[in-house]
Amino acid sequence: MTSYACCPTDISRTPSRVFIVLRLFLGAVFIYASYDKILHPQAFAQAVYNYRILPDALVNLTALVLPWLELILGLCLAAGFWLPGATMISTGLLMIFIGSLAFNRMRGLDISCGCFATQNVEGPADLWTVVRDLIFLAVSIYLTLVVFFFRSGQKQGGNCP
Amino acid sequence: MNRLFSISVQQSLRQIPALIALAVIIALGVNHWRSDGIPLVGDWSMEARFSDAAGESLIIELAQARRLFEEDGGVLFVDARPQSEYAQEHISGALSLPWQDADRYLAETAGRLESRKTIVAYCDGEDCDLSHELALFLKDMGFENVRVLVNGLTVWREAGLPIETGN
Repeated sequence: MTSYACCPTDISRTPSRVFIVLRLFLGAVFIYASYDKILHPQAFAQAVYNYRILPDALVNLTALVLPWLELILGLCLAAGFWLPGATMISTGLLMIFIGSLAFNRMRGLDISCGCFATQNVEGPADLWTVVRDLIFLAVSIYLTLVVFFFRSGQKQGGNCP
Repeated sequence: MNRLFSISVQQSLRQIPALIALAVIIALGVNHWRSDGIPLVGDWSMEARFSDAAGESLIIELAQARRLFEEDGGVLFVDARPQSEYAQEHISGALSLPWQDADRYLAETAGRLESRKTIVAYCDGEDCDLSHELALFLKDMGFENVRVLVNGLTVWREAGLPIETGN
């Protein structure tokens, strides 16, 4: 007997191909995003500090936990595990990322100082970053809506209510 | 559909704290055991941010930088910002040494740098880290007396000290 035979919510359809592809895509994005940050905590802490949003005391803690949260989220999304929680966190994180980027653009934080990128600081890279994150957010919202309203046959990790 | 929604909400209310807790536990555990872990609460004061590898502060006060500038020719200001911003405005007599291309520019300007007793790196804005990065780079290259004038261009201009434009 499969795990979803006990779940009243999971007996309807098989998930659509679009849903699976986008779920794998967003999972891969989060896993990829976490990799470099986990390897270089000090450099990532500097990046978090440069956003000038968090109080100093929370910078390192955020820089330590965020990459692991991204990795775990990415794995959940890729594996189709704990999707209600994973899609909610993913949508929330992307909203925070976009909000932070937009906030710093609006208050005119000195982008040319190289605060965001250490290589190519001139050019519209930061606008592209916002657009890119908006695309990820759209994917994440789609996945969240499907999971909360039209979910079908994804794994429940054996934790059926 | 309503039933699915309420079940999903209940599941997410359990899963969100569990996922965050898992991330916190793994992050703190890994940070504790790895050799290049960072302190949980970092020191982001200005002195700590603008220090060299040994933890010595690189900051030079405006008054001291001004005295060096006015009294002897032993100081050279280096502008760590991109060349285009240097061309718009820079401290009089400063050398353009964009951190992005520091290797290339250093080859061309090493002679001028070597003849000075003190090198003062600057950029613009209190959060700008380019001058600090450049100072660390110059120290690595063997220049000993390298300092950073924090928020250099702005404090220099506001003190009414000489500014130049062009290359």
